[in-house]
Amino acid sequence: MTPTTSAARILELRGITKSYGSVTACDAVDLTVDAGEIHGLLGENGAGKSSLMKVLLGLIRRDAGTVLVRGEQVALDSPQEAAELGIGMVHQHFSLISGLTVWENVALGDTGAVNKQAVCAEIAEVAARYGLPVDPEARVDALAAGERQRVEVVKCLRRNPQILILDEPTSVLTQAESQELFAVLGRVVQEEGRAVILISHKLAEIVQATDRVTVLRKGSVAFRAVTAETTAPELARQMVGRDVSLHDEAAALGMLPVRKTRTAERGAHDRQPPVLRLAGLTVEKGGVKVLEGVDLTVGAGEICALYGVEGSGQAVLGEVLAGLLAPTAGTVEVAGRRVDMSRPGALGKAGLGIVPEDRHQSGVVLDMSVTENLTMKSLDRLSGRFLLRRRAMHSEARRLADEFNIVAPSLDAPVRSLSGGNQQRVVLARELSGHTSVLVAAQPTHGLDVGAIEDMYARLRQAAADGVGVLLISTELEEVMALATWIAVISSGRITGALPVSDATPERLGMLVGGEAA
Amino acid sequence: MSVLDSTTTILASGVRLTVPLAFAACGEYIAERAGTMNISVEAMMLGAAFTSIATASATGSATVGLVAGVVTGLLLGFVHGNFSHRAQINTFVVGLVLNALVLGLTSYLITTNEFVSHQVHMLSIPLLQDIPLIGKPLFSERWPAFLLLALIPLTWWLVERSRWGLELRAVGENPQAADVTGIKVNMRRRQALLWCGALAGLGGAYLAVGEVGSFNQNMTAGRGYIVIAAVIFGAWRLGRTMLGCLVFGLSDAMRLALPALGVTLNAQLLVAAPYLLALLAMLLFTTQHREPGALGRPFERGST
Repeated sequence: MTPTTSAARILELRGITKSYGSVTACDAVDLTVDAGEIHGLLGENGAGKSSLMKVLLGLIRRDAGTVLVRGEQVALDSPQEAAELGIGMVHQHFSLISGLTVWENVALGDTGAVNKQAVCAEIAEVAARYGLPVDPEARVDALAAGERQRVEVVKCLRRNPQILILDEPTSVLTQAESQELFAVLGRVVQEEGRAVILISHKLAEIVQATDRVTVLRKGSVAFRAVTAETTAPELARQMVGRDVSLHDEAAALGMLPVRKTRTAERGAHDRQPPVLRLAGLTVEKGGVKVLEGVDLTVGAGEICALYGVEGSGQAVLGEVLAGLLAPTAGTVEVAGRRVDMSRPGALGKAGLGIVPEDRHQSGVVLDMSVTENLTMKSLDRLSGRFLLRRRAMHSEARRLADEFNIVAPSLDAPVRSLSGGNQQRVVLARELSGHTSVLVAAQPTHGLDVGAIEDMYARLRQAAADGVGVLLISTELEEVMALATWIAVISSGRITGALPVSDATPERLGMLVGGEAA
Repeated sequence: MSVLDSTTTILASGVRLTVPLAFAACGEYIAERAGTMNISVEAMMLGAAFTSIATASATGSATVGLVAGVVTGLLLGFVHGNFSHRAQINTFVVGLVLNALVLGLTSYLITTNEFVSHQVHMLSIPLLQDIPLIGKPLFSERWPAFLLLALIPLTWWLVERSRWGLELRAVGENPQAADVTGIKVNMRRRQALLWCGALAGLGGAYLAVGEVGSFNQNMTAGRGYIVIAAVIFGAWRLGRTMLGCLVFGLSDAMRLALPALGVTLNAQLLVAAPYLLALLAMLLFTTQHREPGALGRPFERGST
């Protein structure tokens, strides 16, 4: 399984360095990939995995280092050159164009006249060879996340690449779909002698699917191993740079098996009086129901999770609860009162706090100060009608910063200058200040490092212990299993099931995510 | 004047007023599908109208004037493209400045120069022009009008069937994805603006050396904005965009014909009619969410 002869060596990166301003994304990274292997590239967010792959695809220029493809030095100045060298990538985001049909997307990047019949025939051929059914005439925006992924893979394989890069391919997939994908990748390397680079931060799938693994940490190679000769805890240690012992951390890193935590034993069946109740919530976008009749209740002092894969409608529900999107039908009740969803700020006034999924866009104002960000929701209380009372704002900000351990150069510094974890704490502190009875946390740990994830888990538990009803919207199975007392599963915009965590197993949740009742 | 005659007259003037809009709308349509909300289409039309008359006067040939108009449009498209899709300056600001600049420049030049009137000749299709009611309006025109018969299908084919058009649509929908696929996003957008400039230039020149035969100050009078409204009215589909041009052309013709028909209405109020219609159309049709996903959004690599 681990060819080491130089004849099989298809790709060699030597001393790749790339900096953005003062930040070094990749620092003298070496990487070798052989034909016929799946090579895992493991690392936390910001470890430099994506920058390295962008260099390899010709999307960004390296500052230093050489790239050898089949033993020959190459320049890699443009995506076109990378494609000619047989390097192809299955992108996670930003790659399919939703206004176009499947075959048009597949044909993009070709040269010469557009020949629909030929493209469609090739799609059918690739689809049949790998067992990846796709409809070439369908418009991409009408496809579910799993189908889009298949289109991505078909598009990439049709180019007949010798080196196939997959960037976090399973984040939008159900467990069954992930297994299918890995089966396809197995055929691609074993029967056809291609090489696959699998980028992931999930240990379980690296251990399961790869032949060799390279671990990046803070832009440098921290560890290299033959996968069969190492273990998940060892990889976790190398990825984080220290021992991973806490269960929460292990869960955050995706180290299976999932264990149940104390929340599970706390009598999940006696539900608390509801503080958030959604009834028949429906959202239509361009004639498509992206949410359909969602019913959900969250009790005071409990953490209820809404689990699903990307594109399942989670993000839409998050937008509705952030007040960014008005539902087409249905009602939202906070603390027993119905909220008029057409009025801006109504949810906040009713006592609902939200940690939005995209914190840079709707969570904080990056270029405003920590103080301003912390107090912008309680200005009614802290300031007059026309004039700001800066002293009151400052003392409130000081109190929140102390309580939530926000590390900032100064409370007048722009939020942009804070680390991701501290930015997230600013959001959380603001949303929990005042008379919050419900907290909605949408993908609260996306993009955070392990320490910050741990802290976020502790704070969500603390909020629940203080009597706040927490709705955790997450795509991370391990996260919902570790935190929630109740887990509702959303698939294609509908709740397919809800169960106490004591009854939940990865298999049952996987079935529900796939749209099947468990 | 009989009812039949006056209908024919209004139709004929409506079609004549539609032709320059239709040329420019073919261009604007392509620019917008590539993601540029090109408001300098007004400058392209007005500038081309001026240079076409100036060139025709200097060379004695209306056809050469027509070509000069196309070149002027191309030039303005080139300038706009390089400012907004190379130097990354806000495309609306570039458009506004170009519109103001061309209006000022042509207004000045027309007062300091004398131009001889020139007009391209008429072309009437035998037999077809004898059809009652629609024969004259549709088949007896200044000859460049018939270019539309080729340019509209060509524009459609380019966008829907050619690789260039496929890449153009990709660039207008999702420039990041197009870039990842290896398409030169800003180059495609500049090319779309060139096509837009050439066709808007043809439209403006047609107005001057085609219909009127001379140039007067601000002679396009906001027709470029009507073209933008027509593309929105058409919900970014070519056929409906052309229909929009016809609707606006006909309403303009009605405005001109009403006094002759004995209806007395305030002329200034009637000038506003096409714009009111455009507003109404946008209110009714923009709910369809068919606009290019990245319309008006600049693209710079690495700024996702």
